[in-house]
Amino acid sequence: MTVIRAGEEDLDRWDRSRRINWLDMGRVQAGRYLVLGAGALGNEAVKSLVLAGARDITLVDMDRVVRSNLNRCVMFRDGDSTARRWKVDAVAERAADLDPDVRVRAIVGRVEELPEHEWGEHDVVLGCLDNIAARLHANAFSYHCGVPYIDGGTEGFTGRVQVVVPPLTPCLQCGLNQSHYRVLERRYSCTGSDVTYYQPSMAAEITTTSIIAAVQVREALKLVCGRSEAVVRNAVYYNGLRNTWDELETSIEPSCPLHT
Amino acid sequence: MPIRVRVRNAETGSTVDMEMENENTMEEIVRGAAGFWHKDPGAYVLRRGKRLLRGSQTVLEVGLKDDDELELIPDPEGGYRAPPQ
Repeated sequence: MTVIRAGEEDLDRWDRSRRINWLDMGRVQAGRYLVLGAGALGNEAVKSLVLAGARDITLVDMDRVVRSNLNRCVMFRDGDSTARRWKVDAVAERAADLDPDVRVRAIVGRVEELPEHEWGEHDVVLGCLDNIAARLHANAFSYHCGVPYIDGGTEGFTGRVQVVVPPLTPCLQCGLNQSHYRVLERRYSCTGSDVTYYQPSMAAEITTTSIIAAVQVREALKLVCGRSEAVVRNAVYYNGLRNTWDELETSIEPSCPLHT
Repeated sequence: MPIRVRVRNAETGSTVDMEMENENTMEEIVRGAAGFWHKDPGAYVLRRGKRLLRGSQTVLEVGLKDDDELELIPDPEGGYRAPPQ
């Protein structure tokens, strides 16, 4: 006679995840995730990846924790800002608290300085960045290495996620227009060794970053589980004040250098 | 013969009618609408229904007709936005 034990299903950390029939925990745990940016989006993305079962995460950021991060960065603590800790180190430590089996490789540095081989050594790249230039860099290198790139962006109560699956879909650069490049020019046009460029702080809060990062992670899980047909096609725009969520189709720009 | 299209401001819901020729580009529409509403300098995209339109596309390529509606959406980049000029 079969005997079952009361409460047995609660002994398995992943019991509830295994009940989602398309979620292949073996693939999720074997996946290699590259997360660019350890700010608000990056904090949420790593948190969700770890809780979803990811075991191998590379995290890149060049900044230190400051107190004003604490309204939206779940992995940071007051002590991290007092100690001027690197963001990636704080996130790596807290990720291990969530799951001792996870390995977060913390890289202090700019995305643009990441060695080329790093891009191809991951299964999916999550862009949790705060500027167009870094996004373009990540987009280009991911595309070149044939690695899917999931870009997230937020501002106040609005956000967007774009999923780039090379070579099938348009890339981030396909969708840029002159308004994007003017932002780029404004940021870099007056920099130099003797000039301090003033960048106003952005509106940012936890609810929007949670939503956007959650979508990024969900799309990453679909990709590593072989469900690329179910990913966002190609960008979603979220407005938390108007309560709208629009999936918008992008198209390949014929002159985009990544597709020629 | 110009066509007339309605452009909606996604942030406020207000609309403006814009006349355009076949050779006008989506880039020009973004610039015109953003300028009309004195939008903060920043990145914006244009949608028509469920499609995002590329800056280089012309009215003819997109197939715009009289009374079509476009929407001007800010593109949140989670980082820099210049202060209003």
